[in-house]
Amino acid sequence: MHISEGVLSGEVLISCWAGTCAGLALGLKKTDTKKIVRVAFLSSVFFLASLVNIRIGASSTHLSFLAPMGLILGPVVFPAVFTALLLQGVLFHFGGVLVLGANTFTMAFSALMTYIIFGRAIRESKKIFQAMTFAFIAGAFAVILSASLVGALLGLTDKNFLTAVKILLAAHVPLALIEGAVTSFLISWLKKNSPEFLC
Amino acid sequence: MKKFLIGLITFSLIIFFETRGLAHGVGYRQSNLKSIALEFFYSTGEKMSYREAKVFSPQDAKFAVQSGRTDEQGRFAFIPDSPGEWRVIVRDEEGHQCEAKINLSKEFFSDKATSDSQNNNQQKNFPEGLELFIRALLGVSLIFNAAFLIITVKRR
Repeated sequence: MHISEGVLSGEVLISCWAGTCAGLALGLKKTDTKKIVRVAFLSSVFFLASLVNIRIGASSTHLSFLAPMGLILGPVVFPAVFTALLLQGVLFHFGGVLVLGANTFTMAFSALMTYIIFGRAIRESKKIFQAMTFAFIAGAFAVILSASLVGALLGLTDKNFLTAVKILLAAHVPLALIEGAVTSFLISWLKKNSPEFLC
Repeated sequence: MKKFLIGLITFSLIIFFETRGLAHGVGYRQSNLKSIALEFFYSTGEKMSYREAKVFSPQDAKFAVQSGRTDEQGRFAFIPDSPGEWRVIVRDEEGHQCEAKINLSKEFFSDKATSDSQNNNQQKNFPEGLELFIRALLGVSLIFNAAFLIITVKRR
């Protein structure tokens, strides 16, 4: 889901950097020293997840763990995603430096929205099945929202990208289902063993 | 009746010449021109199959001289007509983009040029194997080192 360098227009890049800077400021303000190791761990998971590809038919994709990151880190997800994407850009040439703001914004904002919409419902769910259901929807939602934001940025840059956007969204439906399932099982484990991890 | 016949003949002549005018002939011949063939792939080794490809000549960096798609094996070929740096950009629907830069000398366009010079132009964009593992380890290490640095600074 990385947008490459040189694809987006200047206006879109600047707007995304503004959003990312605001998110980073909020995230750094909310960062607690006790939670820094947790942020580093999830940032590492996100950094490595892009290297593990899952085959879907003729194509392949990779997990992003956006929903678990959002549900565990809350607003601190911005610095975590930013760090991981910066290292992915430097070490693996995914994305780029100028487009880092846009890539951070699309992913971290999706994770943050997932936390805002589903965080409380999952935290306060008394029954595990109920929490798992919310977590499944949250996992799928994060992927679809992220893909939609990427599509919107491409569409804002050039209307010719609209066909590609439709394919992009369709390609992310299987990943949304997989992420939903992964988030669901992860949240059920956290609810049983370490509920304090949920932000 | 006479008017009808004149009208019919006139109409027939118009249709005849109009049809001849529209019918462009087509044909083909096998070309011996030298081409540059490239293979595009992801860092995981997966082929960039059926992806959009654009070719930019040394003379014009903005407008593509050729566009198309890679084949099932992620391959794309074009025929350069001048020396200089040719760029081929292949991108997918998810925003991944690979840019190949091919520097062609004047020798390439002479008869003595060999295919070896083309192979030297291969660009390797992504790390693989052990290098990939080392870079992944380096990334994780940097993240945790940064985290511990922040913790240390905040505790002081």
